[in-house]
Amino acid sequence: MPITTTRRRLLAGSAAALALPAFARAQGAVKPRLTAISQWSAGSDGAAITALGKKFEEKGGVWQHSPVPGFTTEMMNKLRAQIMAGDPPACSQLKGPEIAAWSKIAPTVDLDAVVAAAGYEKVIAPDLAKLHKPGGKWIALPLQIYSTNMLFLSKRAMDKAKADKIPVTWAEFNDLAEKMKAGGVPYPIANGGTRPDDGQKFEAALAGISPTAYRAALMNLDKKALEGPETKAAFVQVRKIADWMDPNVGAQHFSTNLKRFVDGDMGMMIMGGWAQGVLRNAGFKFEDFIIAPGPSDNSKPVFLLNADAFIFWQRKEPDLQAGQTLMAQLVMDPAIQTMYSQITGSIPVRTDVDLSGEGWSDGQRRTAAALKDAIASNQAVLSLAHNMAQENGMTAAIIDVITEYVKNKTIKPEQAVTRLAEAVEGAR
Amino acid sequence: MRDRAFAPSRMLIYLVVLAIAAAWLAPLAVVVLNSLRSNEEIAQASMIGWPKQWAWSNYAVAWSGFCVAETCAGLRPYMLNSALVTIPATILSTLLGAIAGYAVSLWRFRGDNWIYGIVTLGLFLPQQMRLLPWTIVLRDIGLINTLTGLVLIHTIQGLSFTTLFCRNYYVAIPHELISAARIDGAGFFRIFWRIILPLSAPILIVTVIWQFTHIWNEFLYGVTFTTGQQQPVTAALIALSAAIADIPQHGVQSAAVIIAALPTLLIYLLGGRYFVRGLTAGAVK
Repeated sequence: MPITTTRRRLLAGSAAALALPAFARAQGAVKPRLTAISQWSAGSDGAAITALGKKFEEKGGVWQHSPVPGFTTEMMNKLRAQIMAGDPPACSQLKGPEIAAWSKIAPTVDLDAVVAAAGYEKVIAPDLAKLHKPGGKWIALPLQIYSTNMLFLSKRAMDKAKADKIPVTWAEFNDLAEKMKAGGVPYPIANGGTRPDDGQKFEAALAGISPTAYRAALMNLDKKALEGPETKAAFVQVRKIADWMDPNVGAQHFSTNLKRFVDGDMGMMIMGGWAQGVLRNAGFKFEDFIIAPGPSDNSKPVFLLNADAFIFWQRKEPDLQAGQTLMAQLVMDPAIQTMYSQITGSIPVRTDVDLSGEGWSDGQRRTAAALKDAIASNQAVLSLAHNMAQENGMTAAIIDVITEYVKNKTIKPEQAVTRLAEAVEGAR
Repeated sequence: MRDRAFAPSRMLIYLVVLAIAAAWLAPLAVVVLNSLRSNEEIAQASMIGWPKQWAWSNYAVAWSGFCVAETCAGLRPYMLNSALVTIPATILSTLLGAIAGYAVSLWRFRGDNWIYGIVTLGLFLPQQMRLLPWTIVLRDIGLINTLTGLVLIHTIQGLSFTTLFCRNYYVAIPHELISAARIDGAGFFRIFWRIILPLSAPILIVTVIWQFTHIWNEFLYGVTFTTGQQQPVTAALIALSAAIADIPQHGVQSAAVIIAALPTLLIYLLGGRYFVRGLTAGAVK
């Protein structure tokens, strides 16, 4: 087949000629390449990481993303296998205190220079910054933020309660729930039955009662705070919430209740900001619900932070190193954070991004404003239920106590406090 | 006869059996119905309901449409990956198990019970416990992130089951058969091939069903020891269900679950009638 060969050669030759300018530009530097693993594969999470990859490629990089579908455990197994095989990904999704824990098993990249160049540290929440520089050096970068304690109000349930004021404190929240109940809303609180659901109610309660106590008890595991009056008050509040919700949730996803919530058969939902995207994707309208920061007894917004991040693993290959630098720059870039959050419904990590423009929802604007205010009043804390405050084992021990307390109404708040302190002691 | 079939006690038994069957099949019915309802319809109504409009498109999306991050090819490529792992691993583990079972049951040698015991010990090791050892093995032989590596894992791990099954089946075979064949000059493999294998159809079908189902449905090793587009179908199924900011895609998920279950269902339908027969063979002597 002499003709084909010639044609092929011709093609190859012309392709090479076309690529020449690119080669010339890249002279002296390698083409940045990034191997990444994340659990983001489906829906808007998958779409967002794909869009990030496109940007990486636009900057001349080679994007090699391997999604590890499933939950955190699967991704950790994969990561451990890759590290043991001597082939860690150049960067991988990881969040919360797990960053510090995992950074001990394999060498990470020192990102201090590139973070300083971007001036990133000044524009993000201090508690969040700390998580990503466990040994004093930046080794991981947060990418997007969700608040886990946003308050969603059903318009129809509000109508039934003849109420129009958004509750700010827990007392107002309880008032509204009573009014809803009296107005014919069978379950003033909508809740799911998955692992984080009950934990989220408890952290919202404690942080809303006292962010200082929250920090001491759930972030620093201070024994006195764990057994303190605020923790007990939080359990009292959670019992109220438990009495107002439909006990028949089983292990259901909170979204199973959305229809009843919008119809006004359930009144309020304390859920992460992501629920907004879920409501929208389920075909409900913005007019059906209101989003506000979760209750806070000192009236200033309390923000329970849940932030996704990337950790960077040391590699010797120059192209991977170049890829890591490019990736770090992209992750910190306000334009990239805007693009990412607009796809997933989260908010940017940077507090200096302007959300007034098109592409943002009111819920996102309110969330971002809440974050800014919360940082200013030192009330931005790390979420327990979403693995930001403690490592997995500790989180699981605490959530077990909370879930049992929610389901078993014979446990008294003071007993719950003791159980909580014991569970923490046991898991230490 | 007719009277007895309609006796009250009979009717009661039928009723109870029907009720149990209905409870057993209810989840399947929900999945089948949801596979024909659009995601929006499910979200706006409830998980359980009759389709308002038949959403056949769920099957098209599940088969070749939905995206796992950058790859939007539906289940199709992942089904192929699973087949490429499951078929060789099933055949190899069944054959090796048959030979091993034959050796420990009909060729008694010193320590044969010990060997049999150690092989079946694998049944009691939890999957997670074996994850790290396998990581090291695959790393050292250079098979990490390959489908061949998965075939190796499932072949070796399958040996515990297949050896157990085949050994229990072969102990019921009269030893005289072997002795007669040996007098005629047949060796280990000739006896296996000519005498044992033709007798083994029921137990081989059982082990094939067992192995096929387990390997096809396996997720942990499948997702840990592959990368990107080599992942098995279970990984693609999980990818469909693990969105955070999206309404769960119940419609497409249901369709995908049904498609992904078809190969194992098919194997059961073809070999199912042997299943109980083979399992209980040799149990009562």
